[in-house]
Amino acid sequence: MTSTTTTPARRLGRRRAGVSEPGAGWALVFIAPAVIGLAALYLWPFLSTFVKSFQDVPAFGPATFVGAGNYTALLGDEEFWKAFGNSALYTAIILLGVPLAVVLAALVEQAGRGRAVYRVLFFLPVVTLPVAVGMVWRFIYNGDFGLLNTVLAWFGVHGQFWVADARFTIYAFGVVGIWMSLGINMIILGAGLQAVPKDLYEAASLDGAGRVRQFFHITVPLLTPSIFFVTILSVIGALQMFDLIFVMLRGVNNTALADSKTIVYLFYEKAFVQFDQGYGAAVAIVLLIVIMIATAVQFRLQRRWVFYG
Amino acid sequence: MTRKWTAAVALAAATAMLTACSGGGSGAASTEKVTLTYANWSEDQSPAMEQIAAEFEKANPDIDVRIQTLPWTEYWSTLQVGAAGGTAPDAFWMLADHFREYAKGGQLVDLTESVKSAGLDLGVYPKAVTDSYTYEGKVFALPKDFDTNGIWYNKALFDAAKVAYPDDSWTWQDVQDAAKKLTDKAKGVWGIAAPIDPQGGYYNTILQAGGQIIKPDGTASDFASPASVAGLKFWTDLQAAGVSPTLKQLSDTEAVSMFENQKVAMYFSGAYWAFRFHNNAGLKGKVDVAPLPQGVKRATVTSGIGNAGYAGSKHPEELKKFLAFLGGTKAAEIQAATGTVLPAYQGTQEPWLKAMPEFDLKVFIDAIDYSVPLPVAGNAAEWQGLAAQYLAPAWDGAKPVEQAAKEYQDAVDKVLAKR
Amino acid sequence: MAESVRSAPRGRRRGGGPVTWPVHAVLVVAALVMVTPFAWQILTMFKTTPEASRVPPTVLPEEFSGHAFATFFGTVPFWSMFAVSAGALVLRVAGQLAVASLAGYAFARIPFPGREAVFGLFIAMLMVPSQLFLIGQYEIVRGLGMLDTLPALAIPGLFSAFGTFLMRQAFRTMPKDYEEAARLDGAGTFQVFWHVMLPMARPTLAALAVLTGLYSWNDLLWPLIVSPSGENRPLPVGLAGLQGQFGTDYPTLMAGAFVCSIPLVVVFLVLQRQFFAGIASSGLKG
Repeated sequence: MTSTTTTPARRLGRRRAGVSEPGAGWALVFIAPAVIGLAALYLWPFLSTFVKSFQDVPAFGPATFVGAGNYTALLGDEEFWKAFGNSALYTAIILLGVPLAVVLAALVEQAGRGRAVYRVLFFLPVVTLPVAVGMVWRFIYNGDFGLLNTVLAWFGVHGQFWVADARFTIYAFGVVGIWMSLGINMIILGAGLQAVPKDLYEAASLDGAGRVRQFFHITVPLLTPSIFFVTILSVIGALQMFDLIFVMLRGVNNTALADSKTIVYLFYEKAFVQFDQGYGAAVAIVLLIVIMIATAVQFRLQRRWVFYG
Repeated sequence: MTRKWTAAVALAAATAMLTACSGGGSGAASTEKVTLTYANWSEDQSPAMEQIAAEFEKANPDIDVRIQTLPWTEYWSTLQVGAAGGTAPDAFWMLADHFREYAKGGQLVDLTESVKSAGLDLGVYPKAVTDSYTYEGKVFALPKDFDTNGIWYNKALFDAAKVAYPDDSWTWQDVQDAAKKLTDKAKGVWGIAAPIDPQGGYYNTILQAGGQIIKPDGTASDFASPASVAGLKFWTDLQAAGVSPTLKQLSDTEAVSMFENQKVAMYFSGAYWAFRFHNNAGLKGKVDVAPLPQGVKRATVTSGIGNAGYAGSKHPEELKKFLAFLGGTKAAEIQAATGTVLPAYQGTQEPWLKAMPEFDLKVFIDAIDYSVPLPVAGNAAEWQGLAAQYLAPAWDGAKPVEQAAKEYQDAVDKVLAKR
Repeated sequence: MAESVRSAPRGRRRGGGPVTWPVHAVLVVAALVMVTPFAWQILTMFKTTPEASRVPPTVLPEEFSGHAFATFFGTVPFWSMFAVSAGALVLRVAGQLAVASLAGYAFARIPFPGREAVFGLFIAMLMVPSQLFLIGQYEIVRGLGMLDTLPALAIPGLFSAFGTFLMRQAFRTMPKDYEEAARLDGAGTFQVFWHVMLPMARPTLAALAVLTGLYSWNDLLWPLIVSPSGENRPLPVGLAGLQGQFGTDYPTLMAGAFVCSIPLVVVFLVLQRQFFAGIASSGLKG
């Protein structure tokens, strides 16, 4: 592709006249599939969910309006608050994975030729089915013969029933969540790291700054936009956690399930197992509000710590 | 609104099909094969279901039956979504605790007429099972099988601990004593599995203690009465004595697997496990079954799977024919002869006993005399789902049994009051 | 490993260059932690069922047993489920690339009244948790009579606010010269898009393909809901069902998890560069 043709255009002096920009008609053709699809499969479902959250929708039969009934029921429902607390705790644990990913990404960037190998190893959990991940970890967490407790026993630590005791389940999920997302976070952060100008480090080491100092004074500040992006993604992903609980606690008669549900799991159970769609819809709308607030808060806070060079 | 329209369209389509079938040339209709789907949740039983379907197809060459086995964890949500969406299987297994929601919601084919025209006598099934599939005087499912409960026990573990096998003289005390002797922590063996299991476990002991689960009028539960609490204590005592794996262990590895892995010596449960234990090579010659122990009296809950049809099926006539066949002797005989399950049809049970002679299966049939139907008031699936959550503190010893029972009773009553 | 030994002294000799052995020490430990679950999975799937739940566990299988694979393939219709997974992935990726690049181009390059408002609506959609759309999407698919079909698995994923956003960003950063030149040569709007702009957007298209493919392959909830009769179910559903049936037969579960994960792992190993570039670009442009 060469650009020789621009010259005749300029010479003829009819650039605007000859190559008019495509009209709005074309725009319509181009955006029609996306707009129709999004309207039908996203906007409409959203509105319908919104309406249902004000209705009583039984398993079989017509819906009736109940005003804010689902919301008041939900706000007075211990189960909902428990799920809310669990989702918040899980999100907090997942956020601990962000600094871990920053450190590891920085180390991988310095690993020379080994870089490619590390990147692949850290990335493997990302391309493994979440259902498979849940099964493997459920086995590792087994209280009687799981690998984790066996390893802990070597160090004289008495193990726990990580996924059968509601005191530990959310933490157990959190570890798996971090393990699963580390690779993807490291790649995003790695791209940010590569954009950091190398001469900054050279200048710093001439000034006698050590590696640790360089990391905190150059790498981290310049990486804040990527860190911010990873944080936003992590929070949204963590608030929507579902697969892990689905494979790690369901299926067996697990007595820890009742106290380990997350918001999305509660939504699934209400809307699709108990078929109380109205209540389920209200749960989903509340989740949306939580995500919107969480994201807005993060954008507000970013002014204080994200550095746009 | 949309649902009404879908229903209207479905109705119109069904009418059109019916008129087409009756009005149009019968020659054309007979060449077109009708396919019925028949859903179940048991991989163990699906070979027998295939065999029954083949038998039916032989007699009805224009009907093709497709067996569909879904995982138990997905079965009910799948069925519910399918029924609401018009895509449920034509025929499917039903359980008593889910039945009322479906019958009330108009999702099931009314079989009252079919029973009459096929000359089926409902008296051939255990009354407890037939009753649980009758709603407002109409029959919506025909009993497929039934089960009562017994003590499954591991003879090898009893021999190793030099404890006499359970028999019909056993009382609650005998179970408690034997469980203590059988427990060998060093070997990782427990005397009994004491999970929070209604059907195989505490419903039976509540009844044996002279208690009841749901009050006769069906509007309230009765878990907190002294007799019911005694029935629950049977299990919490076993937990407290350390002769059962803890609830956490039973959450990691469910009770039946513990029994199959030979980690527990006794497991209270139903006739439905016979086939699975029979097929487990590792258990050969090691397992037998005895009647449940006596408390104040003898008792076991009984229930059974029903075969139901989807009201939205595109082939209602063929479906009714198939369901009548499923309720008949032939289907029962296949289930019995293969050892699959204890059929509900009277007089067809003998082959089942003979199919697995290593087990004293007569225990389950004798138990019919003192059996009580599984309680199914209101949205039973919903209130039963709350049990683990409310009763776990009693099993763990974190709360007095009386208190946990009262709290569970209140929660159940709230669900019952909703309807 | 060998490399870390070699490169460490070299780094020191050059003076001021990075000392890499502590870096490798930390990374090797971290990488070991990362792969331990997989190693444990692979060891377990060759054990017998009783051996897998022994206390304390054995590390290597006492006798190599293939029963887990026999049970898995005897229960889960792997190949048909694989075909469903792959088919849904292809449909979804192809569809989304087409829809998103068309719309992204229009949003980036064709001015039309209300463009910013419509695009704003797309962005707002990014915030909404996907679960919230489920019931409505289910009703639409049901209304179209498409439940239990393969396209039903892919339909909602064809349209993505995120994809549109990603493509718009890509087109916006491209120089206008090529477009104008082509137009002067008499190319129509669609030709410009197809022959000039789309080829230049190839890296972003690859990124979008990777991310969409990953989501499609992993999806569990939507197929469960949209395939009520159990036909056309992809691998994650089969795998989740396996657990319901063999809750504590760990070798079988591990073997199933392994077999179902392998296809995507292989694709990843072959297309590493595209995976990494794709994910990195989503980060840079987001």
